[in-house]
Order: sequence, then structure tokens, then C-alpha cells
Amino acid sequence: MTDISELGLTPQRRDQLAAIAWLRWKLFANTLRSTRGALELTSRIFVSFAFAIAGFGGAFGMSIGTYFFISQGKPQLVALLLWPISFFWQFFPIMATAFTNNPDSSDLLRFPLSYGSYFLVRFVYGGFDPATALGSLWCFGILVGVGFAKAALLPWALLVLLAFAAFNLLFMQMIFAWVERWLAQRRTREVMGIMFVLLMLSVQLIGPLAGHFRKQARPGVQRDVQRFVAIAGPVQGILPPGLAADAITQGIYPQWPVAFSSLGLLCAFAVVAGYCLHVRLQAQYRGENLSEVAAASALPKDRSLRLGWNLPGFAAPVAAVFEKEIRYLLRSGPMLLTLIMPIFVLVIFRLGPMNSARHSGVFLTRTPEMAFPAAAAYTLLMLTNLAYNNFGGDAGGIQFFYASPVNFREIVLAKNLTHAGILAVETLVAWIAVGFLYRAPAFDVTIATLAGLLFAAPVNFSAGNLLSLYSPKKLDYSKFGRQRASQMTVLISLGVQLFIVSVGVGAFWLARSYGNFWIATILLLGLAAVSLSAYAMILSRIDRLALDQREVLVAELCRA
Amino acid sequence: MDLAPTISTQGLARRFGELLAVDGVDLRVSPGQFFGFLGPNGAGKSTTIKMLTGLLAPTSGSIEILGLDLEKNPVGVKRQIGVVPEGMALFGRLTGSEFLNFAGRMYGLDRETAAKRTVELLDFMQLADQPKKLVTDYSHGMQKKLAMAAAVIHGPKVLFLDEPFEGVDAIAAGTLKAMLQRMITRGATIFLTSHVLEIVERLCSHVAIIHQGRLVAQGSLDELRAGVEAQTPAPPGDSRGQNAASIEKLTLEQIFLRTVGGARHADQELSWLG
Repeated sequence: MTDISELGLTPQRRDQLAAIAWLRWKLFANTLRSTRGALELTSRIFVSFAFAIAGFGGAFGMSIGTYFFISQGKPQLVALLLWPISFFWQFFPIMATAFTNNPDSSDLLRFPLSYGSYFLVRFVYGGFDPATALGSLWCFGILVGVGFAKAALLPWALLVLLAFAAFNLLFMQMIFAWVERWLAQRRTREVMGIMFVLLMLSVQLIGPLAGHFRKQARPGVQRDVQRFVAIAGPVQGILPPGLAADAITQGIYPQWPVAFSSLGLLCAFAVVAGYCLHVRLQAQYRGENLSEVAAASALPKDRSLRLGWNLPGFAAPVAAVFEKEIRYLLRSGPMLLTLIMPIFVLVIFRLGPMNSARHSGVFLTRTPEMAFPAAAAYTLLMLTNLAYNNFGGDAGGIQFFYASPVNFREIVLAKNLTHAGILAVETLVAWIAVGFLYRAPAFDVTIATLAGLLFAAPVNFSAGNLLSLYSPKKLDYSKFGRQRASQMTVLISLGVQLFIVSVGVGAFWLARSYGNFWIATILLLGLAAVSLSAYAMILSRIDRLALDQREVLVAELCRA
Repeated sequence: MDLAPTISTQGLARRFGELLAVDGVDLRVSPGQFFGFLGPNGAGKSTTIKMLTGLLAPTSGSIEILGLDLEKNPVGVKRQIGVVPEGMALFGRLTGSEFLNFAGRMYGLDRETAAKRTVELLDFMQLADQPKKLVTDYSHGMQKKLAMAAAVIHGPKVLFLDEPFEGVDAIAAGTLKAMLQRMITRGATIFLTSHVLEIVERLCSHVAIIHQGRLVAQGSLDELRAGVEAQTPAPPGDSRGQNAASIEKLTLEQIFLRTVGGARHADQELSWLG
């Protein structure tokens, strides 16, 4: 029987772990052989820089906060720092990693790897997660804060924070391992994903709703909130972040028996999380297969004729690709939810604390006529995922496009038409939503916004078409969260969006200064003529570019 | 009378950095031939078929399909050919019916014809039982049959198949072979690569063998047999020896091994094994 006690390192096990580390290194190093790989690395360095700022900045904040709480004689408030760290540690991997293409350690099971080595490998893989890196840095920040406030407590705080970090790392992996099992089936994966996104949206709505109720200042509601705090306070105290804070607090007073009991409970949580992880990994180690099994179907044979769609004015292949794109999007819960986000954001702005009297200086409250342009701009932003990686969802289907007797410009045009169609529908919905939530957008503002979209959409489509060819990334439309996009695309699309927003803001600012939105319309229509010409020029050259890039596209999108 | 070839290449070459994967291949496939393209792993089979179908650009050389230059008239060529590439080229998040309908329209069929052929092909390939199922949820064999159906929906004159029987069960393989034979009897040309030499021997009238990027043999099975018997001695692994070969017909496997020199003395190597 395999056992978690097999974690000891024999020389053979050390060799195997060294080989796995070497494998990971070679996989990384080999991606740098191509120019594209080197560009990806450069872009990743930029992104890592942003992570580093968050990590070190956060750690600095944690140090200051911890020092302040302890020096003010309120060390129990360190829990206010540990809870966000714990939340981030658990939620960020689900958003950013768990639903993406992680290296699958179960591939290693074909080798004579002991269970202990397998467990260690999984554990160490988790250690490379950005959430672990940031969480650890922030814990280190708390440790530094403790050191400055009460240097004698440093060894104890180190012990407590190590236990806290171990719990978080094990708990994160435990959740991922169990969720992974539920996500193995496409249907449950999508149900889970929708539940998760709804949860995220609900969390975002808590603030606005609380603010909304606070504005009404009903004494009953305030009483309920106080009652909730009175109950939640002790409850958080027996959960890992609260226990870690209590262990540090009791070490300061010092109440060592209580401090040790808190640390003991914290360690017990870590052991339970580790055991639950062990149960899942052991099942995997024994060869559990989570792949989807074709269910027997008793449905009658389908002999009905179903005609494809027709797009008046466009060639049959354009209509066929348009139909295919719409079907793909309709079957993708994540994409649909992404596309309704602009409306949610409007609701959040409308109900949120930023709409309250205290925040009367907030832009949209002060200038409700700008709500529609802002919603339209956000709508455009939501399309970035699709428009900048046109072929990402096609995977192996890209070979079909290359083998079919259709010019690539028709395929790209169909994809752009799909995205333009989505933009049009979303803009209409945003226009209606703004009418309900703020006030009906004025005619001149509506026209100026549409002119802005007429300028911005071709710019996005042109840049998106080029990046789709030069920096493609395979996407799974059924997966939730941020799939690892091409870092080069992320950087360039960010630059394009900044350019578009700057131009739009400049045009609207000028128009508002003169009190005439038709100025913005004229300016943006002029720019639209330029961007449409550029779009047409790039589209006319897409066939040649697509042929030149066929190896890159096929290699990236057809990889397993 | 010598018919104009359906597929012809001249000096076809493809280089990947330092590696010359395909080196000056001159292929000639006549109309109506069931043509098997063989070679050891890494010999250049898939690279060649990718170049022939427009999925990969040649470094040098020319390709003519049905008298049309692939480089100059790619759309014209692709309209008349069908392709089942190595990765099958499917759209996973469509149903089988939607995918075939889509493929038909991409190959220029009108909506009614595409819809009718979709129903017929799903029925023939025994894929009509699960109409709501997405392609991504199909088994490997079902995906292979669907890829084949998509490649023939427009009635191509030439069909390119890269390992069409890999991972396909005996029943599905039987269905596919029946369809291919029917296409041949109706005048189509089929160009296939396969590692299963028995299948190639049973189906193909003509064979070419590529080794280390170079075409080392090309012709009908009898021509290849005669060439091998005349030029090469029987390898030590061939128990019948050279004299026996003249009495019995060489199998395609023996022709292949003698041509590429693949037979090894396993008894003298890997002495530590078993």
C-alpha cells in the first residue's frame, strides 16, 4: 500500500527528482530556441516585473501594517492582514492557473516513481505558482514587521508563519486536486465554472449592495451588520488566518500555552489539508482515469436536413465561418459570461459606493452623459480576448482552413464580422442599460460614441488580425479563468487599447470643453476613415501573411 | 499512351534549419492510382504530404496537382483535393453534423447539397447515432471517420491521407477501406502514408519509398519487387535467403526492409535485455 510516509529521500528518489527538475528546465530552455520564444520571454519578464511590484509592494505594506498593529498594542488585528493573504492564495490559482494548461504531473506516472516522489513533485509544482510566491513574500513582510516591532518574537513568528504558509500551500493544492476531478467532465466543468464566475460576481456586488443599504441608513440593517461582526469575529479566530494571528498575539503577551495550542490547531488544519490532498493523489497514483467516457446513446439516427446559415451579401465560406464562430461562442460559458461583464460593471458603478454622496466627485456620477461612451469602451475591451487571438479556439481546425479552397481573408473577415456583431449587440444592450441605470444617452453623445467605435473597432481588428497570425496561442473555450495568453499579445494589445482610449478621451474632452459633441463625432469619423483604410489594406494582405505564418500557426494550435 | 500525372513534383525539398527533411523528391502519381507513400520514422513522409496539400511551404522545387501549380493556384488545387492530415483538422466544439455541413460549404457546395451529403456521410460512417455529441467528445476512431467524411464531402478527384488507419478499429477500418475502394473504381486518385505495410500492400497499386528525405523507390509493387530482387541481396534477417526470394514473391515488408536497410541483428545487440 502506498503511504504518505514514503517521503524520505533515498538516493534513487533524489536522482528521479533531479531528473524531473532537469526536464522542467529543459522544457523551459527549449522554448527559448525560437525568436518567438525569446520574445515571449521578454514579455514574460515585463509581466513578472508587475508581479514583483505587487509582491514586494505588498510585503512592504504588510510590514508597515504589522508593525503598526503590534506597536499600537493591537496584535490581534494582524488577522486583518492574514485573511486577505489566505484568500488570495486560494482564489488566485483558480482564476489564473487551475483552469489553465499546467504541466500535468500525472504524465510522470509511467515511470517507476514512488508515491512519495509523486507527492513531492506535485507539492513542489504548486510552489512555483505565482500565488505561492506572492503569498510567501507577504508572509515574509509580516515577519519583518514583527521583527521591527518585537525582535524577540522573530523565531516564534517564523514558526507560526511557516505553518500558515504550509497550510495555504497544501489547502490550495487540495482544492485544485479535488476540483480537477470534478472538472474532468466537460459538463461538470462548465457548471462549476459558471458557479465560480457567479460567485465572483456576487463577491463584487457585496460592496455595492452594502453601500446601497448603508445609504438608506436603516437602523435594522446596521444592527444586522453588527450582529454579523459579533458572530464572525470568534469564528474567524478558529480558522487558520485567525489562529496564526492569535498564535503571534499570545506570543507577545506572552501566554505560551494558548500560543502553542493555536499553533497546534493551525498545524492540525495543515495536516487535514495534506491528508485530503494525499487521498486524491493516491487515487491518481493508482491509475485513476478522469478522462471523459463516451456515454451510450439511445437517440435515434439523425437524418434531418439542416441547412447552414446564409449571410446576404457575403460568400458562402464567410457565412460558414461566421456560423461556426457563433456556435463556438454560444457553447462557451466562459466567453458568454465575459461578454456580459460590461453590463455588470455598469450596475456596480450605479449601485456602488462610488455613486454615493461621499463620492460626488466620481466621474460617472458627475457626468452621467459619459456613461454610454465608457460602457462602449469597456465592451470593446472585453473583445480583446477574442479579436487578438482569432484562431486560438480553432486548435487543429487551423489545418482545415489551410487545406480548404478558401482565401484566408474570407476566414478572417468572417471572424471580424462575428466580433463586430457581438460589439454591435453589446453596444445596444449597454445603451439600453445606461438608459435604465443613469439616463438615456443624448443623441449627439450616442452618435459620437458610435463614431468612436467605428474608429476603434478597425484598429483593434487590424492589430488583432496581425497578432493572431504572428503570436497565436491555443485556447480552450470550455476552460474558465485567465488562460495563459501570449505575453507578447498581452503587451501589444495593452498598448493599442491605451492608444485608442487616449484618442477617444481626447476627442470627448475637447468636445465637452466646447460644449459640442459633434466635434468629437467629426474628429472620430475622420480617424475612422483612416483606420478602416488601414484595416482594408491589412485584410488584403492577409492571404500572403497567413501563408508565411502557416508553420507557426499549425505548430502552436495543433500541439497536444 | 502515358496519361498526364495527377500528382507530380520536381526537385521537391524542404529544409528545417540544418536538417534537410525532404531532398529533391520527384514524384509521379497517375490518375486512378491508389498510391502508398512509405518510409521509416522521420524519413520525410509527413513533410512531403504537408507540402503536397499546401500545409507547408517547400524550400525549393515545384508541385503540380491535376496540372495546376500549387504555388501559383493554391485555391484551384484545394478545390479538387481532399485532405486528412496527421492532426485530423477538426473543430472540436461543433457536432459531427455541423462540422460536415461547414466543411461542405467551405468546399463550395450549396447549402442544400452540403446538408444532404452531411446526412448521407454520417449515416455511411455510422456517426448518426449521437447527433448532439461534440466532436471533442468523439472517440479517436470516430474522429478519424469524421475527418475522412469531411475530406470527401465535395467529391475530390485526389485524396491525401496521412496515416488514415492509425488508431482505428477493424470495423471502422473496413468501412473506410470500402469507401476508398469505391472512390478508386470511380476514377479518383488516392495518396496515402501508412506504417501498416499489410494495409498498403492490400490496397495500393503503386508505392514510393522515401528514406532520409530521398525517394529511393517508386513504381508498381511488381516493379519494386523486380528492382529489389535484381539489386540487393537478401538481408541476414530474411530466413528465405536470396535463392528462395526468386521462388516466392517478396512481401512489401521485405521489399521495404531491403530498400531502406532496416533489418538489424537483434540477437547481437542489447544483450542485457531479457
